[in-house]
Parts: sequence; C-alpha cells; structure tokens
Amino acid sequence: MRIPLSWLREYVRVDADAQEIVGALSISTAEVNGVQRVGVPGELGLFRVGHVLEAEKHPDADRLQLTSVDVGEDRPYSIVCGAWNFGAGAKVAVALPGATLPNGLTLERRKLRGKVSEGMILAEDELDLGSDHSGIIVLDDGLDAGTPLADVLPLVEEVLDLDPTGNRPDLFAVYGVAREVAALLGGELLPLPGEEPKRDGDEPVGIGIDDPAGCLRFIGRLLRDVSIGESPPWLKARLRHSGVRAISNVVDVTNYVMLTLGSPLHAYDHDLLRGGLVARRAREGEQVRTLDGVERTLSAEDLVIADGERAVGLAGIMGGEETEVSSSTANVLLEAANFEPVGILRSSERHALRTEGSNRWEKGVDPHVAGPAATYATQLIVELTGARWTGAEDVQGELPKPAVIRLRPERVGEVLGLEVPENEQAEILGRIGFEQLKKGFRVPTWRARDVTREIDVIEEVARFKLPEIPFTLPRREEMFGRLTREQRLRRQVEDVLVGAGYAEAYTSTFVAEGDLRLPEPLSAEAAALRAVLYASLLEPARRNADSGAEDVALFEVARVYRDVGHQLPQERWHVAGIADGGFAEAKWAVEQIYSALGLESSYERTSEPFLHPGKAARTAEGWLGELHPALLDGAWGAFELDLDALAEAAPEVVGFEEVSPYPEVRQDLAFVVDEEVPAADILASIREAAGELLRELEVFDEYRGEQTGEGKRSLAFRLAFGSLEGTLRDEDVAPVRASIVDALASRFGAVLRA
Amino acid sequence: MDTVARVDPDDLEKEALAAAAEARSLAALSEVRIRALGRNSALKLALRNVRDRETGTKLNAVRETVEAALTAREEELARAELEERLATERVDVTLPAALVGPPKLRPRGTLHPSTLVRRDVEDIFLGLGYEIVDGREVETTRYNFDALGFPDWHPARSTRASLFVDDDTMLRTETSPAQIHKMEERRPPIYMVSIGRVYRRDTIDATHFPIFHQFEGLAIDEGITLADLKGTLRHVMRQLYGEERELRFRTHYFPFTEPSMEPDVSCFNCGGAGCHICKHSGWIEMGGSGMVDPYLYEFVGWGAEEYSGFAFGMGIERTAQLRYGISGLRPFWENDLRFLRQFR
Repeated sequence: MRIPLSWLREYVRVDADAQEIVGALSISTAEVNGVQRVGVPGELGLFRVGHVLEAEKHPDADRLQLTSVDVGEDRPYSIVCGAWNFGAGAKVAVALPGATLPNGLTLERRKLRGKVSEGMILAEDELDLGSDHSGIIVLDDGLDAGTPLADVLPLVEEVLDLDPTGNRPDLFAVYGVAREVAALLGGELLPLPGEEPKRDGDEPVGIGIDDPAGCLRFIGRLLRDVSIGESPPWLKARLRHSGVRAISNVVDVTNYVMLTLGSPLHAYDHDLLRGGLVARRAREGEQVRTLDGVERTLSAEDLVIADGERAVGLAGIMGGEETEVSSSTANVLLEAANFEPVGILRSSERHALRTEGSNRWEKGVDPHVAGPAATYATQLIVELTGARWTGAEDVQGELPKPAVIRLRPERVGEVLGLEVPENEQAEILGRIGFEQLKKGFRVPTWRARDVTREIDVIEEVARFKLPEIPFTLPRREEMFGRLTREQRLRRQVEDVLVGAGYAEAYTSTFVAEGDLRLPEPLSAEAAALRAVLYASLLEPARRNADSGAEDVALFEVARVYRDVGHQLPQERWHVAGIADGGFAEAKWAVEQIYSALGLESSYERTSEPFLHPGKAARTAEGWLGELHPALLDGAWGAFELDLDALAEAAPEVVGFEEVSPYPEVRQDLAFVVDEEVPAADILASIREAAGELLRELEVFDEYRGEQTGEGKRSLAFRLAFGSLEGTLRDEDVAPVRASIVDALASRFGAVLRA
Repeated sequence: MDTVARVDPDDLEKEALAAAAEARSLAALSEVRIRALGRNSALKLALRNVRDRETGTKLNAVRETVEAALTAREEELARAELEERLATERVDVTLPAALVGPPKLRPRGTLHPSTLVRRDVEDIFLGLGYEIVDGREVETTRYNFDALGFPDWHPARSTRASLFVDDDTMLRTETSPAQIHKMEERRPPIYMVSIGRVYRRDTIDATHFPIFHQFEGLAIDEGITLADLKGTLRHVMRQLYGEERELRFRTHYFPFTEPSMEPDVSCFNCGGAGCHICKHSGWIEMGGSGMVDPYLYEFVGWGAEEYSGFAFGMGIERTAQLRYGISGLRPFWENDLRFLRQFR
C-alpha cells in the first residue's frame, strides 16, 4: 500500500514529520518498507504558473511553438515548446532556467533552432505526475501568473510504502492509516471525506441481491450526462504516486475512493446494460469477458454481477469488457457493494486473477463503509464530469452487529507484564474507535472481523505499549535443559565423522523416485521422499571430485521416510557417508562410530546392487562397502547406519571392569587358513576357546605368499592374558594356548605357524 | 564382372551378427568388428563399388544394423568383464580397516554452518532450562494448521504454498506441530525449542529453497507474560549476536499468537547507525513471536486461562547468514567443499 503523505495529511492534523510517522506506524501498526521522496528534487521556487501571452509557430521548425510567457517577473519569458494543445491566454506550468526536473535534468537558457528558450512549459510526465506526454499541463484559468507551482500541483511528494498484515483490511485505505496516525501521535482525525451532492431526479436503478451470503450490500447510483475525459492533474498525481494507472475521470474516481476509504467500487456504462444489476452466483459454464480481455468460463461458485441477461462482471474482482466505461459513455451506473471475503478469495484463486479490488475484499471490508464510498464517489463524479445524479438504491440484508467485548482491566497487566491503568486502556481504545459501554467495548465496524475476543482487545492495547514493556524472565520451578540420549548420540556421531575427515553435507529430502510420492511434486527430480541418504551424497561427491577437491569425504545426518501403511510414514534418523579411496575408508568410519558409542560391531559379507560385490558388509544397524564403479567413477567408500537403531543398541552406562595389578602375558599367534574363512569367525573361536583369562585380542597382520600356499592366507593375532588373582605363569597360559590351537584346527583346519 | 558386387547383403548381416553374438571377450569382439566393418571388409568393399541406389541403401542399412549390434554387445561384454574383475577383488570385510587399507590420513572435517548454528541455539536454550524437541517432518493438516488456528481460507493451506503427501498429510511448514504434540503429552510447565527441517513450495533461486530449518520456542507456565518473552528473546539474541544488542518489538499478525510481534535486533554491524546489513534502518528482522493464542489451550483440552505462554520462531539459515555473512541460500545446499571447509 503506497500512501502519499500529502493525502494522508488531508485526514489527520498532526505535528510529526515523515520519520516520526514511519517510526510510530512500524512499531504499532504495520511494517513500513520505507518512505520514497518523488517529484522535483531541488529548488521549488523556479516552478511557476505561467500565463501565455503570445504563441506562434517557430519560423524554422514546424513542430515547435514560440511563446512569450508571463511568469511573474518584470518581463515576459520566451519559451520554445513542442506541444500544441494550448495557445495564447492559457495558464501553464513553467520551469525556469536553473530548475531541476524529477528526472534529474537541470534546465538552462539555450537556443532551439536559433531562438532563445528560457525554461520549459511542462507536461505531466516531466513532473512525474502522470505518464502523458501528448501535450502540456493546462491549468485552471483563474490562477495568477507567477503563483508558485507547488501551491497548485504536488511537485514533491513523500510516499509511504506500508505492508499491512491480512487481518487489517482497514489499513488498505489512506483514511484508515490516517486514523492510526492520529491515534499513535495524538493528532486530530478529520471526518470522513465526501458529501452528497444535490440529487437531480429519482430514477429507479434496479439493484438486487440474489445471494445474500456472497453479497451483503449493494448500492447502485445513476449518474447521467457525464462527460468522460482526463482527470485533473492533482487526481492523476495521487493515483500515480499510489501506483495506480489513470484511465479516465470516472474510472479514476472509483479508484481514488477505493484508495481513500478501502471499499472498492465499479462503474458501468449504463446504456450498455440490459436492465438493472443483480449480485448472483454464476451459472455453471456461464461466460464473461473481463476488462483484461480474457474470456472467462465461470463455475457456480463464482459470484457475478449480472444485468437482466448476462454476467457483466466477476463480483469484486474485475468488471466486464462489454459494459466498460469508455470515452463515449454518457450515463454511468456506480456500484458500491460489500462482498464476503472467502468467496472472493476462492474465485480469485480459481481464475488466477488478483486485483486491487480482490486484494481488499478477500481480507474482509467493512460493509458500513460502502455508504461513504458511494457518497464520496458520487460527489467527485458530479464535480469532475458535470454529471447529474438521478437515482440511488441501497440494498442490504442485516449487516453484522459490532461485538461488545468485556475487558477485565487487570487482564491487560497479566498478559503484558506491564500495568496499564484502566483509564489509559480506555483512552487508547477510544482513539482507535472502540466505544466504551457499560458492558464493555464496542468493536469498531472496520475491525469487526479481527477483534472478537478479550485477548484481541488486549492486543490493541499492547501494540500501543510495546516499547514500554520491560525485559523479564519467567519464574521457574522446573528445568528441562538436557539433550535427549538420541540427540547426544547424533552429536557424537557427527563429531566422530568430523574427526575422521568428513565434511558435513545438507542434501534435499526429495528424490526422483520412491514409495512416498508427492501428488504434486516440486520437479521431476524432487517427486518423492527419500528412503536412504547415501544416494543424495553421490552427486555432491562427484561434483567436488570434478572440481579438483582432494580427500573428498562427506556425511549427512538426516531423516529417511518409509511407508508403513499408516497415515504418517515412519521417520528414522540415519547417518550416511561417502569418501574417496575405497572400502577401507568406509570401514574406518563405521568402526570409529561403533567404538565411540561403546558398541561391539560385527560385520558380515553382503551384496547390494549399488555396492562392489566383493567389498560390501552389513552390520546390525546398516551397511558399508565400496560403491559399485558403475555408480560413481573411481573407488569410493560409502556407508549408511540407522541412528535410532544405534541409540537402542548403545549401552547407557559404561560396563567397567576392575584393572588387574598384575602384569599381563602377551602372545602373538599366526595361523594359515583358507581364504574363505573370515577373520571375525576366527576371533570368535579364539575368544570362546581362551575363556576368562583372555584380556585383549586383535588381528594385526594378514599375509599371503609362497609359504601360505594357493587359496590360503596367514592371519596373525595378538593376545593378552591376565588375572585379578595373581601373575600368570607359563603353565597357566600354555593350556589355554593349546586349546585355541586345537579349536582353530578342528573348526577351520587352521595351522599354527612356527 | 567384379566378384564383390555379387555379395548378398543379407548374408553379410547374418554372418556379422552371429559373429558378434559368439564373441566371448572384448578382444574377440574387436576382431569381429574389423572383419565385419573394417577397411577391407566385404561390406566396405561392396559399398565402395556400389553402382545403383537401391543396393547402396540396402548396404548402408546393413552397416547400421551391424554397427548397433556390435556396440550393444560391446557394452554387454564390458559389463560382464567388470563384474568378473570385481568378483576377483574380494576383501575380508571382517578385518579391521587398518589391515584392509589402511585408510587415508585425512585432515579434520567440518560441521555444516547450519549445524554450528543449530548447536549454538540448542546450547543457549539448554542453558535456559529448555528441552530440545525434534518432532516429525511429515504431519497431519490437523497439527500443522487446524491446531494452530489457521483459518480455512489461509493461503498456506493451498497446494501452491505447501507440500502435501495426500489431502490430510503434508510436510510441516513450521516446527510448531511438535509443540502441540508436547502440549498433548503433558501439562505445563513446558519450556521447549523445536528445531528442524520445514518445507514450503518455493521455486529454487538465490534466496529461495523449498527446505529450510527453523527453531521455535514455546514456554507455557503459570503467569508467563509478554515481558518474559521480551526478556527471553533479548537474552537469546545477545547470546547469538553480542552482549550490546538491543531488542524491540513490532506488532504483527500470526494465526497462533495473540498479541503477535516481530522482534528486531539492533544491527551488530553498525550498532544501529544504518548499513547495508540492516538496510539502513539500524534494526534487523529476526522472525516472529507472540503470546500463545488461548485457542491452542482449548484445542488440547485445557482451560483458556489456566496457563499463559509465549512462542517464537526464527530461521537457522538466516541466523547463519547473519552470523557468517553468507548471502543467498544456495551455498547451504550445494555442499561445495571449498565452502564447507571454511567452517572450522
């Protein structure tokens, strides 16, 4: 909502500059995007009303006029001008040499085709008052030459860019904003603009409401003998500064009144209507060509304005082309109505058509403002077009009664944490139109939709007191400041992987294909919720490698989703990683994770289509392996684990064992076994055979060579034995060692190497 | 007459296709290719000596067919040879990484900037005695909209604004549903922050991405006031942006709070004098906040005035952008190591 401040000040008398107004509005009313200064940038004194004394064709240029203009100085000025829409006697807008125009051009005395020109006779676009450049501005004949032009035209304007929230339809109106400014800054709010002109006749208009739910009120006014033309410069300037295009005086008035009061209006060419107007639901498939030239097929949910035969407009959104006011229009039917918001919103969505009108209706316009809007528009049309007002009808059902809400004065302090005296509460509310009655406060009609409960009234007081509210902290009796086990575990896993050289990645939740498809996907690549994480890391890994990064290693901790036949999918936290270098990279990362969580891990050979068939393993909580080379060039290690499963498996407390004061006996044993026997199986057998004296066990070497023979390898193990009872002797350990050798020989055919 | 011209194109084709199918290795196949399509092959000789258009067309068709068959067979054999090679590259997956590798010694990795901010936010609230709640990402419209007081006509309910799995199921548009779940789970005092991914239907560009992260706080207790909200947020903002920061409220509108305010923090860059970061206003917008709308209490079956509380929500990415001076959202999702590795 763009609001020229000169316009705002027509309705509020307040001793505050633009910055003060912005400051107050942005804290208590609505976001302000800024104040823009438009128009003449510098000295205003060089802009004058000029009286054209003489005007004739330039002797050496067919398109130029040579004029002599009285600008209030002791001699007339000669000005060369390119426009022909005036002659001697006209009052015009003049800029003298030294004046700077809104576009930044500074005028100089100079020769045009041999004739001296001392300044410029201005067109509206040159003053940023409109877009027309077909002729210069012709001013009112009654003005005196030399009058400061700034007294006649808004040469400089400050335009406020306000962004009201959807619950404040009253702020989509200059008058509504003026009401706020008056209340916030202690200004005087002037009465609503508009005064009924004298009625010249009592013709029937023929207004009807067929759908009282969709149309609460419908005012029709008949205006005869309008003379369609351009609006006066002040009106065009106001519209331009508000971001609305000027079209013709009648249409401009409807827009101007909408901007002033917030209730949109529409004007029809009365002679093109067949009978009166009725607000009704469209017939399924009915058609109307709207003002934007689009032929629209309507559904029975659309509200239309129709004459005796057909729809002539999409109610509240856009009028129809066939009954549009044009330059040949002689008689006008003016509509000021009130439409129900949700229906307008739905129609506007259905037809993908948002207009200044629909934007207001969908927020809920006060039905009581339709009357003043009709009055003000009638007055302006009569004044600006010379029309006669010959007929009026106002059809309305029962308009909603403003609610009366009880406000317990102490409640304000309880909510705000700031005591606001009762009389101050009433005073604040009074300033924004809440009337204090015995039973409570009567909500002003323009706030009826938003303010329905006591808490809503408290908010109205609150927004005036925001800067005064102190900074306190809640008084607590209970605290909750601890991460859950799952959250601690996630942090731990992240830290382990960072330590192992992985950079954390964030990738999209969405993938191209999956069980959980979105009926309306974001794109072909983002059409389903992912069930695994690792696949999302392939592309970033490839791109980093392609761009020359070294030691590429990425991980992600995020959720995966699985359809389990309920309304909501199952969501589980996973961690996945990818690293250049192959199987050992994945193995190392997974070992580190398990070890950090104090979890025993066991690995089994597995096969997955995306993994190298000889380098893929499974653990109880996920998988790891080397990626199949068909998936990504080069050797890459990858893994994915279910963090929720890890959290369930991980011990909550450390299982501590007492440390023995006696030295351990260490032994290294190497066995030759078949290739196919996994080291883990041998470790398990050793552990079983060794019994309770075994303190430590690890495999520390793998060897293949002539001595091991074809299809066999040697694995070396480091064992440590100990006891809490005393120092072990050789004869204590020897039998254990023998039973290990026996067990491995009988189970795997393993041969102890000397 | 030249002997080559009498060659039957159909025979040539049959012969070449059979040879391709029989080739058992890439090496063998390359010999087949030379014999069938090489410079001195019967087909090439025939093509070179062609006299009439009809024969020429026929021979070219044969050449294309054979070419395609050879390429297809080549891929097949390459794949088989790869699988065969892979089958011989077996490791004992139960051996420790040190023995199957060893793995590379890599320089230390990094956490994502969003995680750095997330942990910081979590720690600040843990210090204030709040619990951290993750919450579901796929939610029912009942918890994402109805419970939060979104009217039927609210634009966020449209498929143009939000991402739906079906009519009643959607990706959460804010983390607030987790707060409703908590309220249903137990009575106040509740002091919680929900953090995580949220979703909007945005077209991807420099400043939009359909996924982002929020942290939303909720405090419900007896006697909580708007002043408590103001004090809590000022504390949090000072923790995040420096002890000298000031906080102010601007009135706003949200469906689930009443009164609703947007908090601004005095600019950490210029101290309030005005600069490009605060758009010359001296203040930086931080998100949304307000007093919990009594509607929510009634939704979970409590009395409208038994408790009072406040809620607020802010963006993790936005916080990271402000803290590190990152412009745009793309870097958060591109996973470029040159970006990620700076966050040590």
